[in-house]
Amino acid sequence: MVSSLFINPFSEDAREIVRNYGSPDTIFEASSALLDTVKRTRGQNLDDNSLLPGSIGELAIKRLEWYLRRQRKGFDHGDYAYLMNPEIEEYDVIAFYVLAQAAGAGFRRGSREVRLVVESAGALVEDRFRVLGSERAEIIEEVLIELGSEGTGWIELSELIGSGKLRLTDLILHRGRVVIDEDEFLMTFQDRITDRDPRSLYAALVGLELKETLISRIIMQKTEDYIERVSEMSSTVEPHPIIIETAERIRETVNEVTSFRGGPVKSAGQGKLVPDAFPPCIRGTLDGVKSGNRNDAIVLLLTSFISYARLYPSVFRDRTPLKVSDLDPDLRVVREEILPIIYGAAERCEPPLFEDDPQEKLNITAKLGFGVHDELEPEHEGESKWYTPMSCEKIKIHLPDLCRPDELCRRITNPLTYYNRKRWELQKEKSEQEGED
Amino acid sequence: MFEAATPLERKRYYREEWDVRKLPEFIARNIHMREFGFDHTGRGPSDRYRVFDDEKRLSRFMRARFPFAAYSSVAFYREPGKRRGWQRSELIFDVDAKDLPVRSCNCEGVCETCLDEARELVLMMVDTLRGDLGLGDVHVVYSGRGYHIRVLDPGVMELGSEVRAEILRYTAGARRPRRKFIHSGESYEMEHFSIPLGYHRVFTERAKHVFLHMRGDERIENVTARTVREVVKNRELLLEDRWGEFKRRIGPRVYPRLVAGVAGINMKMVDAKVTIDLKRILRLPTSLHSKVSMICMEVKNPETFDPLKSAVPKFVHERES
Ligand SMILES: [Zn+2]
Repeated sequence: MVSSLFINPFSEDAREIVRNYGSPDTIFEASSALLDTVKRTRGQNLDDNSLLPGSIGELAIKRLEWYLRRQRKGFDHGDYAYLMNPEIEEYDVIAFYVLAQAAGAGFRRGSREVRLVVESAGALVEDRFRVLGSERAEIIEEVLIELGSEGTGWIELSELIGSGKLRLTDLILHRGRVVIDEDEFLMTFQDRITDRDPRSLYAALVGLELKETLISRIIMQKTEDYIERVSEMSSTVEPHPIIIETAERIRETVNEVTSFRGGPVKSAGQGKLVPDAFPPCIRGTLDGVKSGNRNDAIVLLLTSFISYARLYPSVFRDRTPLKVSDLDPDLRVVREEILPIIYGAAERCEPPLFEDDPQEKLNITAKLGFGVHDELEPEHEGESKWYTPMSCEKIKIHLPDLCRPDELCRRITNPLTYYNRKRWELQKEKSEQEGED
Repeated sequence: MFEAATPLERKRYYREEWDVRKLPEFIARNIHMREFGFDHTGRGPSDRYRVFDDEKRLSRFMRARFPFAAYSSVAFYREPGKRRGWQRSELIFDVDAKDLPVRSCNCEGVCETCLDEARELVLMMVDTLRGDLGLGDVHVVYSGRGYHIRVLDPGVMELGSEVRAEILRYTAGARRPRRKFIHSGESYEMEHFSIPLGYHRVFTERAKHVFLHMRGDERIENVTARTVREVVKNRELLLEDRWGEFKRRIGPRVYPRLVAGVAGINMKMVDAKVTIDLKRILRLPTSLHSKVSMICMEVKNPETFDPLKSAVPKFVHERES
């Protein structure tokens, strides 16, 4: 019988376990009981001892490591099978708190490490739901009650919505309430549903899937809030040395798995595009280009410029190569914002780019680092390199028609630098005279 | 109609016709917490950071200065004169007829037709705000060239920009609706028009509005000019909600791209900058929109509102006779 502990580290039961554990002194001490559980897990690879967590502290790190590795090539589920074994739940709850405390004590708010710890908590919940089998529906209901999200209004979830963890458009709303319950769904919408079985529509629109998403997002938010509280506390109370040590292990693990050379990235991260700060060559490309320059302008110049401007404008300053998915893990921004801009410009070319060169779509995917494929698929990432925007000098040579330098162009050597500079200037002089009709 | 007002006409309007008692209650009740801004020259609101402790003081100012345009903040501040101590902001949707990316008229600026299409859109959005999102204290204001929806529901007034942007996406139909679903372990697809509730219904309604008002020469991202013409040719089907057949005529491969394109257009039907900005100033209801000689005013019944009957100042009638 699986308990809700396996999913929800924020239940009263889970807190009780943590309270009873007491001081973190023994976190990194070998636990044969934990190791036994790990070894008994079906499907677990046992040939390499370094794969197996022998202590709760190691289990904490493994939770993060699992998340960092699972999207990558050559990931073997058998290396981490124990994370999906419900018998691990009591150790796992403590490991969760160790990891979260270390993230709060060791890293600043909004840092990559904090983000990864938060994301790993959500991903683990989602994957664990998949192994639950017949008990799934029951646990979902139990956790929903524990988290207090049965019959809430969307405004109570607004923090989740604002942080992008949950989309308002994915919720079924009626008079401000999030309709989760089947009976409520039927009562509310039955009259409108005429040409299909209302129950099957409920199953598709809400069903277990939306509930699971909701749970995983709420747990992410609560994890983030918890880390934040620890962070505030650690400015007045010295964190336990073992927690500091765990933070160091987090840093090492992140660096090792993502093979950073330049150390942690400080200013990478998504930001909204500011079209007013685009340099003349990019504006020209967005308006549509005539044949001749067309392919290079779209595939080489625009694709790299827009993707970096949106996801990683500081690439030249940070000099740390990242992958698109490091910044946009579910590729939502690429699919919904970046590609539409590129495809739109391609459409405005004379003649439209894909009409006679449909294979250029593959090249765009390739320039984003996803190999030569029609569609952007996470598993292809790394087959090619994510191209940085070409320098002004190269643009002058390859795309002379597009290079119409203005005042600022003279002071920079790359369109992305132009963008950063101009964006900063615009912000500074942001007019006091804004008013709306 | 729609001609600019002369300084003399402005003066007459504020001295003879304008009355501070007509100010909507939702502005008057907290007047001292809002920042006011004025445009005296027609070149933008450069006179800002003004505060009025009560309606009388505002009245005196308006009659003395008869500004080209008058604005007040959507935000409430502890110190509005310094724009400090932000407390909360109204949630705003700005639908400007002149900037609608799809409208069936071909006018420069605004005309009766596009103003009415803006009003239709506003009606739908208000419905969504009340019905789906459950918000109260929703006001519609005719701005002179379009409409503002101003929401003062306590539930939303403290929300940040990101949530407001998400509310905008929902209300405007500005996100491609989900198509893939999983039921009993099997994945399958459903189009927006076959789901008569939630966001899918909102999107279907907005898409219909766009299709029915296209002229046929619009540019939709990732969709060819030919497809746009096909939409116009077959849109009668939508009047009877025969979406399935409409989709077949457009072509099953093209249709998803059309849907994505419409989501993009819907986003542009509303000025997103205004919605996400917590410190905007917005045209003051009762004030004169001098560029088009119309009165910015709260609309009590948007179902029947006709700006050409209700929002035209007296001096315009006299000008014409
Ligand atoms: Zn018009």
